[in-house]
Amino acid sequence: MKKASELKYGEKVKISEIDFSHPSSKRIIEIGFTPGQEIELIVRSFFNDPLAFSVRGSLIAMRKDEADCIKVA
Amino acid sequence: MIVQTTGKIPLITLVGPPNSGKTTLFNYLSGKNYKTVNYPGATVEYSISRLLKKFNINADIIDSPGIVSLSANSPDEKISIDALFNHPLYGQPDLVVITVDSSQLSRHLLLVKQIQNCGFNLIVALTMNDLLEKRKQLISLNRLRITLGCEVVRIDGRTGEGINNLLNVVSDNLENIKFADKRSPLSQSFYNDRNSLLNLYREIEQIENDVVSDIHSNGNGFDLEAANAELNILNPSPERKIKYSLDSATLKIDKVLLHPKLGGVFFFLIMSATFASIFWLADPLMGMVDDFFAYLSSETAVLLGSNWFSDFVSSGIISGTGSVLVFLPQILILFLILGLLEDSGYLARGAMIVDKPLSKIGLNGKSFVPMLSGFACAIPAMLAARTIPNRRERFLTIFILPLMSCSARLPVYALLIAFLIPPDKSWLGGIILASIYIFSVTSSIIIASILNKFKHKIIKEEDNSSFIIELPSYRKPKLSFILTNSFMNAKVYLQKAGPVILGFSIILWFLTYFPNTNPQVDTTGLTQDEIVQVQEVERLSSSYASDLGKIIQPVMTPIGMDWRVGVSLIAAFAAREVFVSSLALIFKVTGDEETLQASMHQSMREAEIGETGQKLFTTATITGLIIFFVFALQCLSTVAVSKKETGGWRIPVLQVIIFTSLAYFLTFVTVNGLRALGVN
Repeated sequence: MKKASELKYGEKVKISEIDFSHPSSKRIIEIGFTPGQEIELIVRSFFNDPLAFSVRGSLIAMRKDEADCIKVA
Repeated sequence: MIVQTTGKIPLITLVGPPNSGKTTLFNYLSGKNYKTVNYPGATVEYSISRLLKKFNINADIIDSPGIVSLSANSPDEKISIDALFNHPLYGQPDLVVITVDSSQLSRHLLLVKQIQNCGFNLIVALTMNDLLEKRKQLISLNRLRITLGCEVVRIDGRTGEGINNLLNVVSDNLENIKFADKRSPLSQSFYNDRNSLLNLYREIEQIENDVVSDIHSNGNGFDLEAANAELNILNPSPERKIKYSLDSATLKIDKVLLHPKLGGVFFFLIMSATFASIFWLADPLMGMVDDFFAYLSSETAVLLGSNWFSDFVSSGIISGTGSVLVFLPQILILFLILGLLEDSGYLARGAMIVDKPLSKIGLNGKSFVPMLSGFACAIPAMLAARTIPNRRERFLTIFILPLMSCSARLPVYALLIAFLIPPDKSWLGGIILASIYIFSVTSSIIIASILNKFKHKIIKEEDNSSFIIELPSYRKPKLSFILTNSFMNAKVYLQKAGPVILGFSIILWFLTYFPNTNPQVDTTGLTQDEIVQVQEVERLSSSYASDLGKIIQPVMTPIGMDWRVGVSLIAAFAAREVFVSSLALIFKVTGDEETLQASMHQSMREAEIGETGQKLFTTATITGLIIFFVFALQCLSTVAVSKKETGGWRIPVLQVIIFTSLAYFLTFVTVNGLRALGVN
């Protein structure tokens, strides 16, 4: 399954699953990343990490390894 | 636990997610607009205030740091959650007011539902309604009220719109609990594990679907009635999906400012411009302050005649204070620019850009805002470090914060730099100051990466290192707000530093003037002016300060300095700025026609070490002094806050030992190295 960290610019996808085993997964859910929500990669930072996604009308930045736990369809 | 509300002033706690307009509402209700100092880093401490009298509600209100949910990720969030469930001083709130950004309804309802689930008595205040309207959507208050089962009001904390409505609801609510026999006890259980969080979000999405409707354009503006009518249909189609969109201006700006390659360049440019303008913009203003105090001092000396009291007032008080106040414009401009960066929304993005490099040396992108605040003062910076979730990263950030060039060092650097550069090349000053800033940041990075090698010795436990942050939409900064805030910050700075500086100026004046107040000197063949000068030299060299200085002379000699600098350096441990007023006193700055700074430089240039004929202030020793001030931890308040924030003496003691010995050692190397190279 594809991870959110592998998205290209402008690619709109739906979240299919959150990997609960990642210690940051709880905060990622709390901040709005839940299965069924559409996300889009908006920013790839200067060092290619962190990344920022649009979700539920907000822009959220997180590290690449944290974005790994968001599985997309 | 049940709180008895009768006979006691009710307590209202304000909670809300970050960027939901919570503190703006608090400021409006408490009138505390500018009394709480708002350094960058937003709220990291709770503040309490009585509601303004004009609102006619007798209640206390608490503002606390923003939270995403009821499970804390970092110390600032823990402060909020603890304050909510059982404030250490004020107990449980009688009423919780939650601010919710209307354009972020689903994300912010998570907190509302969690708090409601615990049994709190609550009111929801919807903010940022204009943003939702821009997205052509509308929330039905009635429906939200019914679905949530609590009061919902629309407010704008900046203009005060809707606040009266909120206050009426608050007042009714407090009346009701007064008459209620008892309240149900709170439960600490809320949807907390990952699966229940997902279920909660599903529930929230249903609510959102029920209460949000699109505003359709009907040719001449938006048709609010149609939107309202749509909301009145009892069962909107369950398939309808809420359309989210990001602010289009923000997207455009981020395409440039957060460009994968150019983003780093813009970051560097914005930071350079910030620090360069601190020096250049402030220059003309500093001239004005300097002229004023020089005039005041010389007029006073003339007015009071030639006696100890005249000397006390003109040198001890006026020149001492003036030599520090000169730097107020620089401090003001620093606060102004930090305010602009924060209010526009760039700070969170800066944190994102530096996360990768900072995480390599054991810090975090969230260390960026504390480090930037550190350029104003290390104390609020250490408090701002509470936003860093990982304990080890937080401690390491706190550890290196004293290396950030705080505003107390500005007066010292400005004096020393002005000494280094020729008067016709004042533009060089900005470049040297920028280099000092870059040098101090580089040093802090090197020290952090060395300490990071010993990280297991500092803190043993391993926990998750995380960087998840909301990038708020860009906003046009409210200039009037930032200006007032900067002035208030500068005022607080003066109130805190002023008495210390004045007090030490007076002590130092005493030490340099007594006991030999009327020295006998050989006056044959000397003019009146020369007699005064010789007397002053004689008075100083037989003063208490000189006695004290002789004790520390052995420490000062290796770094090419004498007791006069030594006394000033010791005085600087009370507050770094005192170094300047102390030098001003020792080198007898009597404001003649010249400005304070110029006459101070003149006498500093002439100063010699003892009888050796060797000049005291040379390029080598001045550079050495700058190096000393970059590293030395000379601020007692910083040590105290470091102890409080790290929960023990280990970190602050290490900081004092490492930084101060490093300062001495590097000054020694610099001064003697430069001399060996032939630079004097």
